[in-house]
Amino acid sequence: MEALGINLGLLIVQIIAFIIVFLTLNAWVYKPMLDMMETRKQKIAQGLEDARVAAEARANAEKEAAKIIADAQAEASKVIREATERAAAAGKEVKAAAEAEAAKAREAALAEIELERARILGDLRGQIASLAIAAANKLVGEALDEKKQRALLDEFFSGVKAGKVVVVEGEFQGETAEVTSALPLTGEEQEAVKKSFKAKEVTFKVNPAILGGLVVKIGDKVLDGSVAGKLEGLRHSLK
Amino acid sequence: MEGNILDAMRYVGAGLAMIGAAGAGVGIGLSVQGALTGMARNPDTYGNLLTNMILGIAFSEAIAIYCLVIAFLMLFQVV
Amino acid sequence: MEQVKHRPWRRWVLLGLLIVGYILGGRFVPVQPEITVAPEKLIEEPLFTLPVIGDFYLVNTMPTLILTVILLMIFAYAVNRSLKKSAQTDLVPRGIGNATEAILEVIYNMTEGAAGKWVRTVFPWFATIMIYVLFANLLKLLPGFESIGVLHHVAPGHEGHAKELLAGNWYLFTAEEGEYILAPFFRGISVDLNFTFALALIAVVAVQVVGFRAQGIGYLSKFFNTRRMFNVPFFGAMDFLVGLLELISEISKILSFAFRLFGNMFAGIVLVAIVAGLLGKFSILPAMVMMFELFVGIIQAFVFGMLTMVFMAQATQGHGEEHAEH
Repeated sequence: MEALGINLGLLIVQIIAFIIVFLTLNAWVYKPMLDMMETRKQKIAQGLEDARVAAEARANAEKEAAKIIADAQAEASKVIREATERAAAAGKEVKAAAEAEAAKAREAALAEIELERARILGDLRGQIASLAIAAANKLVGEALDEKKQRALLDEFFSGVKAGKVVVVEGEFQGETAEVTSALPLTGEEQEAVKKSFKAKEVTFKVNPAILGGLVVKIGDKVLDGSVAGKLEGLRHSLK
Repeated sequence: MEGNILDAMRYVGAGLAMIGAAGAGVGIGLSVQGALTGMARNPDTYGNLLTNMILGIAFSEAIAIYCLVIAFLMLFQVV
Repeated sequence: MEQVKHRPWRRWVLLGLLIVGYILGGRFVPVQPEITVAPEKLIEEPLFTLPVIGDFYLVNTMPTLILTVILLMIFAYAVNRSLKKSAQTDLVPRGIGNATEAILEVIYNMTEGAAGKWVRTVFPWFATIMIYVLFANLLKLLPGFESIGVLHHVAPGHEGHAKELLAGNWYLFTAEEGEYILAPFFRGISVDLNFTFALALIAVVAVQVVGFRAQGIGYLSKFFNTRRMFNVPFFGAMDFLVGLLELISEISKILSFAFRLFGNMFAGIVLVAIVAGLLGKFSILPAMVMMFELFVGIIQAFVFGMLTMVFMAQATQGHGEEHAEH
């Protein structure tokens, strides 16, 4: 043992040194380190737990939020649909009202125009009558005054009524009738003409060239009851 | 050339005793070989294999250490 | 990839060191020292003699032991302060505390894997043995160890070396024949059988203590196995003999622990001394051997602690009880 250097005293010294080292390291290194590791582990576990709870809460909140948003969207779409419907109805109403208004305005305007036209024609009537008479005077040499004109018209109408002017049934039939007079006819006279001819549409024309009376054209038949026609017939007979 | 035959035999004996270390060398080599093969095939077992490999090496090495002890005993005339 | 920084001056420093080493090696030629297993005595006479224990010599591992223990205490204090500071702030260790914890946490996890719930009992042994042996092994590599010391007159029949006056009371040890022998002031404590035997004894005794704490008196049945003796006499007797072998293996554990560490470390210093003595002027080259010694020192420190831990873990799990639990 001496050659190997093993000595009981030295061995004991080494053992004591080891015990000192062990106690020192145990107190100063391992205990604080293990405590710290333990604390840190707990803290990390706590943190993970907190994170889990927070994640759960967040998931719940997200679900809630999604629900609220869905509700709001449904509400919004409902409101929009109602508003659209209401707006469409209101628009339709407004349009109808506007159309009615427009139609009324147009009718009123048309009536006014008609009235104006009739008034103007009425004004023109006297002048035209005198012009026509002047022309007839020149042509026939016989003065045709307004009274005579009226008389001619009355005669025509009375002839129609009395049957002098024969309105052949079936012959004078047509869709449209065109009545030409030297003077514009009064409403009463127009009515009478309309009654006489069973035509659906009757148009009234004013042509001073016929000098007096009426020329009625129904379909392709012409009933000449005018002074010019009579003059023409006279000319034929005079030849 | 001088000296006594006993000293010469001591050195020869110590040298012969250390031949036994060859067996320990083979044993350590084999255990490391096996452990490394295992680690290469399944790297997940690294830690476990390392621990057991070091244990095995320590037990093989103990044989070489017995040889060393005998060699020391012879060299330094302890017994 | 990271840009590699070019530091050309490092190479020049290395080259300069090599040249200085060569010049110094030429001036102060290394001498192959007297290789002894026993630590050298700094004073020839015993310091004091105790009645039972015997003579107590001042050997050159004693200064190293004191140095190692003081360094370990400084280290422990530094780690303690670092850990306390981080424990007060945010539980994040920094500096030396962090480095120590990184290593010890690996050891802790390893211990937990092997010893389970006994980890708090086993871990301090593993860690202390590892740190202590690591310090001892690394201190051995410092310059000044094994090279500065007192000169003694050589014992008759042994080779000695001559001395050469350097300055004042300091002498240079030369390669020539002479009548002096060097006893260094410092010798690594792991190259002392007292240290390794002390550690091995403590480790093995601690294993038994842990075994008794874990299993109570039933731990003894590992060594004196009489469980099956009366049921199956033949195999019972075999078990008893195997138990006695276990007892012998516990004793051989002490030997194997002590001589494993001592053998490795002693081989280290012998290798360095022989390589330096052979190379003479080119004694800068054993630096490579020193590097290998560093590696061996770390490995042996780990192995010593690891084996202690594994034996302790085995002692906590009895053979019979283990099967009974399942």
